[in-house]
Amino acid sequence: MNKVDISVILASSIHESKNAVGNLMYQLQTLKSELEVPLEQVEKINNIEEGLKQLNDEWVEYLYLFKLASDGYDLQTETWQVNEFLDDQVFVLSQSASAKNLILDYQCDESLLANFDERLLTSVISTAVYNALRFANNKITLRAELRNDFLVFLIDDDGPGFSDAEDEEQEFLQNNTGLGLYFAELSAQAHTNKGNQGYIEKSESTILNGACLSIYIPQ
Amino acid sequence: MAEVDFSNQRALLIEDMAEARILQKKMLSDFGFKQIEMAMKAESAIELLRQNTYDVVLSDYNLGSGKDGQQLLEEVRHSNLIPNTSTYLMVTAETSIEMVMGAIEYQPDGYISKPFSQALLQRRLLKLVESKQKLYSVNQALDKKDYELAIKKAAQVTEDFPYLESKCARIKGDCFLELKQYDNAVDLYQTALKERKMPWALFGLAKAYFFKGNYDEAESRFRQLMLDNRFFVNAYDWLAKCQIKQNKIAEAQATLIDAVAKSPKAILRQIELGELSAKLNDFQTAEMSFRRAVFLAKHSIYSNSSIYFQHLKSFIGIAKEHELTGRQVDNFKITLKKIQKLFGDNPKIKSGSYEIEIELFITLDKIGQAKSAHLLYKQDIEMGLSVPKTERFIKKIEPLLGD
Repeated sequence: MNKVDISVILASSIHESKNAVGNLMYQLQTLKSELEVPLEQVEKINNIEEGLKQLNDEWVEYLYLFKLASDGYDLQTETWQVNEFLDDQVFVLSQSASAKNLILDYQCDESLLANFDERLLTSVISTAVYNALRFANNKITLRAELRNDFLVFLIDDDGPGFSDAEDEEQEFLQNNTGLGLYFAELSAQAHTNKGNQGYIEKSESTILNGACLSIYIPQ
Repeated sequence: MAEVDFSNQRALLIEDMAEARILQKKMLSDFGFKQIEMAMKAESAIELLRQNTYDVVLSDYNLGSGKDGQQLLEEVRHSNLIPNTSTYLMVTAETSIEMVMGAIEYQPDGYISKPFSQALLQRRLLKLVESKQKLYSVNQALDKKDYELAIKKAAQVTEDFPYLESKCARIKGDCFLELKQYDNAVDLYQTALKERKMPWALFGLAKAYFFKGNYDEAESRFRQLMLDNRFFVNAYDWLAKCQIKQNKIAEAQATLIDAVAKSPKAILRQIELGELSAKLNDFQTAEMSFRRAVFLAKHSIYSNSSIYFQHLKSFIGIAKEHELTGRQVDNFKITLKKIQKLFGDNPKIKSGSYEIEIELFITLDKIGQAKSAHLLYKQDIEMGLSVPKTERFIKKIEPLLGD
């Protein structure tokens, strides 16, 4: 057999798995609507649904990551209402937050318009929020604002904050926080405009005192 | 969010996977749609779109082995099978490795990624319908092809709803191009590009330059678009147009061969490549392109007899240089049968198919077969099933029959 590019094979396997997960979710949804499920079971089904959704979103992240890292992603920027975009993200992720008894909300100027790749940023935000869900005590807040020539998305939580561990490499290998950050970084960098390139910043949250991840997208 | 009453509306659901289709149909009926029709493939969707007008179309991007959702959208938009006032929502399985999303000329009103919950679909649909309502007067003008009015209405919408500015600018640009007001188009696109390098504006600018006859200006921008997004195959098509205008036919052919390799299912591109190759006397490539076009023409709105005839003619071109292989002869016969089956009751087309059949037999030096076809041809003419022979046939082909 010829030598094969294993990363391509893995990526297409992930794609297949992702579609299979999607199919399971459809079947579960159909089942849920057809069966009269007692209340205490509904929660269990919701948990399964929630788990499958996170799995799906994770696969999506890995696929984007593969494309970004292998230089195979073609950015699709368009003009979006940022307020609506964040509203969408909160809508989709709120079930995950409430399953953990956490509050997820957003703050954004209603008139803010900006250019970015909506599908890619959707994956970045969900990755960041799933990550924050593991650390937050009560609350996660999404924000967006214009700073100079950049649109900045901020994901704040009230958890312990980023460890200033110098062994980031260790972190990268031990959990997927590092991978998620790497994904956010590549996604931000993929956005360029007028000589500016996107980037990310880790800091302490000024509004919730936990961690704050900022994603800078040049405008 | 807007209150939208779907109970008077008609929806078309296009999805090849049974599980998803059942669930999505249930979702749509829960939203209150009065009528929901379903198609499993692009081809059957086109049939339905020909017969009916739908308020909402929910189409999957992946539709099995036939046309994909984007090609379907291009065909129905191109041929006005769906009004601009309708809402078209494309369902995508995010990040398909081979997904081609660079399409800019024909876009759906929105995308939603699979899998989605009922609540999310409802939300997306309501938001889309809401902005479609705001753009209603613009789209209505577009449907009537009143581009002056569309420009006026788009300016009004921009003023009332600033967030629709870029959408309206795009529409205005398209209208300027339709109205052949190329200088206005250039101004509009350049203004948009000053803000940011948006692909739609760059594409529009390149087209405007093309129509103005500034082929170098146009070419460099189409090339830029190809660099920015490898999957933006429309830019290849337009680059080929530039090259044809500049009489660089061989380069244009190479451009289209590239484009076809990236996106082989687009019938118009196959036809264009076939015609170009025939012009270059490259009948092998012409035959391949027209063979694919004939295959794609099934159920396509672009199906017409000329595709089939050009396929047949490419065999004659090949036969003049080489012996035809058995397989090529078979392919010739297959396409000939298709013409007769699809268009056989049209005497003119029937006549054409006889003439090309006889010409091929002569080229292959099979005079006996040519003569028997000639006999049938003459009988059909007498019975009125074929129209009289063409002048070319009488002058160039008949003498070679030797009787």
